[in-house]
Amino acid sequence: MSLYQLQKLIYQVNRDPSQRERYRQDPAEFVKGYELTEEEKNAALNVDVRKLYTFGVHSLLLRPFTLLHKVSNEDYAKALAGLE
Amino acid sequence: MPIVFACAASHAPGMTAWTEAAPKEQSEKFLGCYRKLGEMLAASRPDVLVAITVEHWANFFLNHMPAFCIGRADHYEGPVEEWLRIPKARVPGDSKLSAELLAACLDGGFDPTFSDELLFDHATMLPLHFLNPNMAVPVIPVIINTLTTPMPTPKRCFAFGQFLGKNLAGCEKRVAVVATGGLSHWPGEAKHGKINIPFDKKFLDTLISGDRAKLSAYSHEEINLEAGSGGHEIRTWIALAGALPEWRAELLAYEPVVPWATGCGLVVFSRS
Repeated sequence: MSLYQLQKLIYQVNRDPSQRERYRQDPAEFVKGYELTEEEKNAALNVDVRKLYTFGVHSLLLRPFTLLHKVSNEDYAKALAGLE
Repeated sequence: MPIVFACAASHAPGMTAWTEAAPKEQSEKFLGCYRKLGEMLAASRPDVLVAITVEHWANFFLNHMPAFCIGRADHYEGPVEEWLRIPKARVPGDSKLSAELLAACLDGGFDPTFSDELLFDHATMLPLHFLNPNMAVPVIPVIINTLTTPMPTPKRCFAFGQFLGKNLAGCEKRVAVVATGGLSHWPGEAKHGKINIPFDKKFLDTLISGDRAKLSAYSHEEINLEAGSGGHEIRTWIALAGALPEWRAELLAYEPVVPWATGCGLVVFSRS
């Protein structure tokens, strides 16, 4: 579990246009820059909202990250349905 | 010059990013009041706007999270969010007044960090979009960590606000002070969309009644439980109340806007 690294990845994509561009060009290559477990890497690459949330990614990192991926409010809520 | 204008305002990103998701009547009423607040600000002819604000991972991360930070740049860029539907802008700063304020803080028992480069996210850009639409008034951001624990206590925010108010009252410039954040909301969480109307109303009543002791006595736990992770932003309102000991708060608007997932409030202060 490397929540710090996972959140750092999302933080940098969210806030920095040049990092965001690098990420958009080649996400698989981009995530190699962070010390992530395979599960975390896959969750980030698949924008697996429920998994990222369950891993403990801060909601104000996660929601903007998913907005960049055009996840609607309805789909976001569905992904988190039943969680605390 | 003394402080010439003060207000507190929510900054839910849905106000601009998905305005039309809210019932038309509700959004027009609220955003109309927001623009009216902007006209009141302009009428006060401020030279500088001090924004008691927060941020959402636009600048600070877990490698360095200041409790308080004062911007000292000549200008700031924002918004960070490309989906916010607010045009990108360069917002002028007032580095000289920022430096004076910082020096006063360190002399006076407060130790905020400072930053000569800050990005603005919706927390600052959204209120500026309505209150300072041409970005004509230079802005000094005073950022409070309301994002991640540990956060400064409401009591400390109130005291910091008191200190800022005293210093700004002695400033040669005409100062507008804007607090931004809250009220209850659980942004991006499984509880996203929940709004605690009784909490919001009680908080607004306390603010309007001028019960400053009660405001500074809010606990982190109470806010967390009753107003949600986003509710911690009411620390900016509490700081503003500290800055204005002789001013009265007046409610311009309160709308619990479910599609914006936030109890949205607008309060203007006037000298009593």
